[in-house]
Amino acid sequence: MTGEAPAIFVALEQSNLGATIRQSPWLFPVANVGHILSLAVFAGALAVMDIRLLGGLAATSPAHVLMRARGIAIAAFVMLAATGFLLFTAEASHLILNPVFQIKLVLIGLGLLNLALFEFGVKRSVVDLSPGVAMPASAKTAGLMSLAIWLVVAACGRTIAYF
Amino acid sequence: MLRITTAVTAIVLAGGAAFAHHGWGSYDAAKPVTVAGPIVTSKYENPHATVTVRSDGKVWTVTLAPTSRMSTRGASAQVIAVGKSISAYGYPSTATPDEMRAERITIDGKTYEMR
Repeated sequence: MTGEAPAIFVALEQSNLGATIRQSPWLFPVANVGHILSLAVFAGALAVMDIRLLGGLAATSPAHVLMRARGIAIAAFVMLAATGFLLFTAEASHLILNPVFQIKLVLIGLGLLNLALFEFGVKRSVVDLSPGVAMPASAKTAGLMSLAIWLVVAACGRTIAYF
Repeated sequence: MLRITTAVTAIVLAGGAAFAHHGWGSYDAAKPVTVAGPIVTSKYENPHATVTVRSDGKVWTVTLAPTSRMSTRGASAQVIAVGKSISAYGYPSTATPDEMRAERITIDGKTYEMR
C-alpha cells in the first residue's frame, strides 16, 4: 500500500519526526489521548455555539454566548490539528489512502467553509440580537450544518481504524 | 428549545462513548492461524509493533500490540529481535494477504499475551 501513496506522504512518514513518533513509547499515546480530549472540548464549545444559533440558550444574547465559546473552540481546534498532525505523520502513507480519512479531510474542509460563510456573512445578522429574540433561518442552517458536519468528522476519525 | 438542547446533548454524549480504543475489524477470528518461524524484520513502533516471519515458504506480517503494553508484559524489543524463533497464534487479515494480528506469541519458551 505504501508504494501507491504520493511521494510527499511517504517522505513525511519516513521523516525523522515520523520515526520519532513511532519509536517513542509515549509520543503516540499522548497525541492519541490529546486528540480525543481536544475533541471533547471542541465539541462542547461548538455545541454551545450551534445550540445558540438554533435558538437554544435564548436567555443570553447570541453575541455573548458566541464570544465566550469562540476562544475555547479555536484553542481546541488548534490542539486537534497539532495532535492530528502527529498521529497522521506516524502513518501518513497508509492514512492518505484510507477512504474514511479522505472523507474526513473533505468534511473538515466543508466545516471550515461553513464557518467562514458564517463569520463573513450570517454572523452580522445575529450579533446585535437581544436575548430571547428568534434566530433567523440562515443562522439556524449554519448551526445545524456545523453540528452535523463536525459530528460526522468525529465519527470518521473513530472509523479510520476499520478501513 | 429544551428538546433541541437535549437531543444535541444526547448525540454528543453518544459520540463520546465511542471514544474507547478501537476493536479489530478486518481480522477473521473464526479462522485462527499459527505462524511459526524465524523473525525476518522487527519494528518496535507505535501504534503497533510488527514483525515479519518466514513460515511455510511465506513471509507473514504479524501485527502485535502497542509498545508500552509489549514492554509492560516483558516482550521488549530484544525479545522480538530479528533471527529469534517465534510462534504467533492469531487471526488472518481479511484485507491484506499474509497479514495476521497476534492474540499471543511464544518466544524462547515464554508466552506473551497481546490483548
